[in-house]
Amino acid sequence: MPIEQTSKEKARRLSSTRVGGKMVADYWENIFTAKERGKHVVWYNGAALNPLFQAAGLEWCHGEAFAARLAAQHLEGPAQAAGAEYGYIGELCSYARTHLGCAVLTHQSAAERETGVVGMVDQQELASKLPAPDFFVNGYAGCSTGQQWDAMTYRVFDRKLPLFNVSIPMLWGNKPDAGYMRGEEWDEVGKYVEEQLRELIAFLEHQTGRPFDWDALSESMSYIKRASELRLEGMALCTQAPTPATYWDWVASIAPINFLPGNQGLVDYFAGVKAELEQRVAEGVSAVADERYRVYFDGIMNWNKLGFLTRKFAEYDVAVVAGRYTHESFWQEPQLIDVDNPLRGMAQHYLLCPLNHGLKNLQELLLRRLDEYSIDGIAFHSTRTCRAMTNPQTMLARAAESERGVKSFFFEGDVADASFYNDELFDSRLEAMLEAIDVQRMKSVG
Amino acid sequence: MGVDLGSTTAKAAVVDESGALVGSSVVQMGAVSREAVARAMDGALAAAGVSQADIRRTISTGYGRKLVPGTDRTFTEITCHARGAAALHPGVRLVIDIGGQDSKAIIVDDDGLVERFAMNDRCASGTGRFFDVLARALEVDVSAVGELALAGSETLEVSSMCATFAETEVISLLAQGRERADIAASVHKAVAARTLGLVAQVGKATPTVMTGGVAKNPAARLHVSRALGHPVEILDQPQIAGAYGAGLLARDDYAGGSGSPAPSDAATEEQVQVSLSAGTPHCQDCDGSPGHPHPGTGEPVPLELQRNIR
Amino acid sequence: MSELDPPVMSSLRATADDPVTYAQAWKAKRGKQVIGSFPMNFPSEIVHAAGALPVIVQESRTPITEGRNLLAEFYCGYTRSVADQAAVGELDVFDGFVAADHCVQLLGAVDVIRWARPEKPVHFAQFTSAMDDPWTKPRVAGRVHELKHEIEGVVGATITDAALAHSIRVFNTNRRLLRKLYDLRRTGRARITASDMQVLVKSSMVMDIEEHNAALSHLLDRLDSHADAPDDLVRLHLSGHFCHAPRPEVLDVIEESGVIVVDDDLYTGFRYISTDVPEHGDPLAALSEWYLDRNDNAPCPTRVTVGVDWDTYLIDSLEKSRSNGVVVLMAKFCEPHMLYYPELRKALDARGIPLLLLETEHEGNPVETLRTKIETFVERIRRQPAPVPS
Repeated sequence: MPIEQTSKEKARRLSSTRVGGKMVADYWENIFTAKERGKHVVWYNGAALNPLFQAAGLEWCHGEAFAARLAAQHLEGPAQAAGAEYGYIGELCSYARTHLGCAVLTHQSAAERETGVVGMVDQQELASKLPAPDFFVNGYAGCSTGQQWDAMTYRVFDRKLPLFNVSIPMLWGNKPDAGYMRGEEWDEVGKYVEEQLRELIAFLEHQTGRPFDWDALSESMSYIKRASELRLEGMALCTQAPTPATYWDWVASIAPINFLPGNQGLVDYFAGVKAELEQRVAEGVSAVADERYRVYFDGIMNWNKLGFLTRKFAEYDVAVVAGRYTHESFWQEPQLIDVDNPLRGMAQHYLLCPLNHGLKNLQELLLRRLDEYSIDGIAFHSTRTCRAMTNPQTMLARAAESERGVKSFFFEGDVADASFYNDELFDSRLEAMLEAIDVQRMKSVG
Repeated sequence: MGVDLGSTTAKAAVVDESGALVGSSVVQMGAVSREAVARAMDGALAAAGVSQADIRRTISTGYGRKLVPGTDRTFTEITCHARGAAALHPGVRLVIDIGGQDSKAIIVDDDGLVERFAMNDRCASGTGRFFDVLARALEVDVSAVGELALAGSETLEVSSMCATFAETEVISLLAQGRERADIAASVHKAVAARTLGLVAQVGKATPTVMTGGVAKNPAARLHVSRALGHPVEILDQPQIAGAYGAGLLARDDYAGGSGSPAPSDAATEEQVQVSLSAGTPHCQDCDGSPGHPHPGTGEPVPLELQRNIR
Repeated sequence: MSELDPPVMSSLRATADDPVTYAQAWKAKRGKQVIGSFPMNFPSEIVHAAGALPVIVQESRTPITEGRNLLAEFYCGYTRSVADQAAVGELDVFDGFVAADHCVQLLGAVDVIRWARPEKPVHFAQFTSAMDDPWTKPRVAGRVHELKHEIEGVVGATITDAALAHSIRVFNTNRRLLRKLYDLRRTGRARITASDMQVLVKSSMVMDIEEHNAALSHLLDRLDSHADAPDDLVRLHLSGHFCHAPRPEVLDVIEESGVIVVDDDLYTGFRYISTDVPEHGDPLAALSEWYLDRNDNAPCPTRVTVGVDWDTYLIDSLEKSRSNGVVVLMAKFCEPHMLYYPELRKALDARGIPLLLLETEHEGNPVETLRTKIETFVERIRRQPAPVPS
């Protein structure tokens, strides 16, 4: 493999995603001034409750999304340092640790900040820019740490602010009829979560002193539904070989679908992405210059290494075409949403978080994707501080091998803490998997 | 006399009535070694121009503190490093000790006594081991890695979690043709980053000093200062801080002065022995009979590893 | 030195150290089923009422081998042990498994059981972790009903209200007897080492409860409660360590350093026995009530509530036991503990209460390092003139 060939030629990122990048940057810039503009701010993590907040006239701050942003920009240091000084140990979920560090920074007065993180003034400013919350809403599926997270932010802010919990049960699958979006348990939990969303709405009305705008909810959900459909149509174009876009392009589109307001801009964005993909297909432009291997990425995103991994895989002629984090999440079943009565469909989506399934469902989902995208190999990101994601990985690897003959490799990294990533091991393991795939191909030909 | 029997070195210090350091000695060794500690003690006595008979009280510290012959009492190296650093640099608030196998961050009060401390966990390293690994990989003497690092830029990424991982990365960087000085600088930066994490557990404070062998490394001091965002003060003899602190505690103990924990009488000592849990004791000179006299009579006793003498 | 009757303790220790062997012997003798449950809130009374033996699955001392390939290294010792035990067949004695707690890594380990032994019944009745909401109690009640049916199915017996009420009384007795021992230790009328206390609680989790009650009664009868508490030792409270028992050698090294452990809020300790199930009214409903009460009495960071705080509870405990300080035993990689720890530290620091954090590892705790930390902590506490300021 020629090392000298620059990766710039090999990895062709979509250009339409830059629009989304700008929308997201503007979103954060705007929210930093929420308190000055006299807005009510809600802090939350996990489930995309934002359409409810939007209809309640709130400004919303998704903690994880901000932590991801800091890590992607390599600006997570001060937040993590503030978290460490507050007492959070380095093995804790780095999403939580980073965001709680931001909470600490926001909460501390300017004078106290002097004795904390020093030396990286500009970066510190970003990490401490989150507007102070008026209340917290917890709605987190799958991960128990996620469910406890907002109760901790509540304590960082001295237990003074209201906290509302939407308890989203795990899709464990006790009954024999259990499966992905089917079975007796599936019907029941959807209703249970929906009822809590109604309670949440009553809470929001109480907090804001305003009646909830149901029309606005239907409107934003219709935009989100449309945006989601366009996104899925774009993803469907990647089932062909060579793929016009990679997993990394879908990662770049997470923020918009995860928390940007449901409006025409969001629809236009995904329409733009789909259009660029269609154009690439028409012109025969592939996302990776010489696509020789198609890989599926399982695990939470390694935000510190986004650009790096994009180039790295492309260097090896590997197109990472899909992944659990992007494809099994973020309004991925839009047909469930009845825009006139969106709460049930929303509740169901909150349940369909990629962390919220037992092994059996995850196996079903994985095999489906392996077939759909004609996958040769799987990259498992063994995410040091995200046990929710890594739980099923070794068993999924075995299932992929035994059911589909698909090879995999594991690499160590983390969601927001760069110190857990090891580059040397990554290269040798990826190469080993590719060699195994080559051998497999030779055998099937001969 | 204070004796610090650590994991890679044995140190001894002789202290006079006024608390001044009158002689010291550092001996490198492979592992916790009685021979090395004997040599260190002899060396300190010679440097001070006194003999064993002149020593009124001996306190030992470090991992091997129970192995030191002639010890009257032991204290942990945390307490001793704090005391020694405070004497070497009055007014110090934060003491960072990066030793061969472990690291400590200690917040010290006005009297040089420990207020808060943290020790590194097994995997979260940032110990002298990193520099041994680095020296071996770069084929330089471990005493020279600091100078080398000062000449380089620390822009290369080195995983700071584990010394073994770091070794594979150093080798890979060499294979890529990177400058040895840059590699050295980057490893120093990585160790400083871990040290910052340790300090975070106790809170930053100034003035800060470093003790232990790694404190002699100018690049280590530089990178730790950068990580902390404030200067790290230099001690004349950082490696001796633990032994000196032990020596000062010995002096306090002998004088019955303030600064040492409350002395106990023989009856309390005995109660402590009685109440020790049934975990296997290894009593060197016990003949196994229940009536064997317990220590606490004020005479120096040979010590063994598992029993605690307060 | 322990004053507890040695032969009884020896038998309890053997059971606590090897619950699987005990379960096998019990099964062979009684010809009934054994149901394995997972920490920390599963109500064992339900299984007992069905005539089966409820066993809270413990960490095994078997070095982890196959489990390495199933769950990554960065999981707590308990979950790695469970995955390994499942893979190597150490859990085959159990006829079924039940869980009520949502800890994501624990569920990962339980999924390993489903994968390794697909024929075994495994049921997860998720007890909501958010405790303050009006819809929590009915949800939990629903799960309890589900559990009843599930266990009836596995065991092949009906659980009557009368049987359940009886089981509740028996388990309450057990908790009460253990609390008595805690009280004796706390007030200095009995000297019970931390590792012995752990044997008492842990054996309760894994053996026939009536047998255990008999053993405890026997121990209490033979115990000479006297008033001379050693007052020169540093009195410490052990806090934390959820789900699995801290290794005895860790507890021993703490008490070898001039320390007496006077109280704890460990899972294999006071947390397990803090709260009784109400004995009046509908027994199934009482179990949901117990789940909520328990968290009020001994707040657990695995639950979400703004009504009570673990740190306040801890400070109250320290006053009751006149502890000089707290040793926080944190199992490495335990997420809920890592999440709450800063709040605990903040509250204790504000009161000037000495705190030592010890992170325990699953395989191989470096005893000498622990000793150094404890001794330094003790040295520091001894400089303080008085115990915990109120």
